[in-house]
Amino acid sequence: MTRTVDRLAQLRQPRLGPVAADPYPWPYDGAVAAAQTALMCIDWQVDFCGPGGYVDRMGYDIGLTRAGLPATARMLAHARTIGMLVIHTREGHCPDLSDLPANKRWRSAQIGAEIGSPGPQGRILVRGELGWEIVSEVAPQPGEVLIDKPGKGAFYATQLDLVLRTKGITHLVLTGITTDVCVHTTMREANDRGYECLVLSDCTGATELDNHVAALRMVTMQGGVFGCVATLDAVLAATTTGDNHGG
Amino acid sequence: MAADRPALPADPGPYSFVPSRTALLLIDMQRDFVEPGGFGESLGNDVSLLQAVIPPLRKVLAATRAAGMTVLHTREVHRDDLSDCPPAKLNRGNPTMRIGDLGPKGRILIRGEYGHDIVDELAPLPGEAVIDKPGKGAFYGTDLHELLETAGITSLIVTGVTTEVCVHTTVREANDRGYECLVLADCVGSYFPEFQRAGLAMIAAQGGIFGWVAPSSAYLDALNRAVPSAVNVPNAVNVPSAVSPAAVGAATGPERS
Repeated sequence: MTRTVDRLAQLRQPRLGPVAADPYPWPYDGAVAAAQTALMCIDWQVDFCGPGGYVDRMGYDIGLTRAGLPATARMLAHARTIGMLVIHTREGHCPDLSDLPANKRWRSAQIGAEIGSPGPQGRILVRGELGWEIVSEVAPQPGEVLIDKPGKGAFYATQLDLVLRTKGITHLVLTGITTDVCVHTTMREANDRGYECLVLSDCTGATELDNHVAALRMVTMQGGVFGCVATLDAVLAATTTGDNHGG
Repeated sequence: MAADRPALPADPGPYSFVPSRTALLLIDMQRDFVEPGGFGESLGNDVSLLQAVIPPLRKVLAATRAAGMTVLHTREVHRDDLSDCPPAKLNRGNPTMRIGDLGPKGRILIRGEYGHDIVDELAPLPGEAVIDKPGKGAFYGTDLHELLETAGITSLIVTGVTTEVCVHTTVREANDRGYECLVLADCVGSYFPEFQRAGLAMIAAQGGIFGWVAPSSAYLDALNRAVPSAVNVPNAVNVPSAVSPAAVGAATGPERS
């Protein structure tokens, strides 16, 4: 009896999948409960997509890194509605720069935007500064997980893996910037750890369009070597909520 | 003194390294990925693109050994009961063969099978660490970071296959951990020329966001200037190096097979 009730409750839970994705219908195991799935919002920070931030200071077009913001805002609202775990990551360093590898600092100086140096949005990539904050379009809500990371990958030197496992998360939907750097590094780390990953092509962006396109294509090769690529609409269309399940 | 810190032209700027604090990393030069008749070819890939990596890499390996530097090899491999293979990796998509299936050179990517081991031309010498990894990156689920730290290694010369998958994942992991990575463009290979190009470009983008890229000739020239005895050694890779690998102490990690 209890088992039947549990089963009915399970059927009423929102689920994702199969999502029309490249190169296979995602996820590999057919469908997944929204509650077992996390939405990753990677580094939607002023420093990467806002005026006067790090990427802007390096001379890149922030129009390219902002391109995925509207779709990500819609995905974020959807995730909150269906009960996905929402995780925001921020790349940044301690004010004393004690967690900044010397070569990372050197390279940023070479390109004219040294990490820790003052800019229009505060000290570049330093925790607590304006440029380090997440932009308002996809701002975190109270209770959502924030992961501060010193590198490109969101798993290295952070509690992300522990949080995901504690919450019973097995599947990840990835959004954020930039596609070829922090999104890809995090997707690779997640994939090696056994998480089933889906990156949303219209919820990402890069400093160079070629790198954005190549990075997405790399995911799809060899049968989905890191997971799958899909669009926001494909995820929306493949969501089954308790209301429309017919049960 | 310049000779202590060889420098070479690279993309996006000069790269320099201290030989005693630098390791050569050979990633996944395994028969199943590289050789005709292996797993990679059975999936329809053109392995000649990976074969092309072997001749320049042999020279780099011989010179690096002769200079007395640390050498490490990696293999992507799983336990025979697949207990270290995540279901998402094993069951994804609809490939003709899956990990653990019987392939042309034994069970695919299973430890101890003929196909999982490193090609003869680049076979590890006794004392060179072999890192068996369950994923694409060489740091996750392995003791690579501990081995490098114990040996005092801060820079990596990165070679192997494939450029956009295991090489890239490992370089990204290494870079986040603060290692200075130089990728040798002709000593890394991809089944897809488009990704070879894009993969190398991504490493050097944004002022070298993941590291540096240079041809092996530039590395050999720099090594030759710093350690003149290193480069002009017989090309046979199994000639014992001028300085015994034991001289680099703890870099010689556990041989695992």
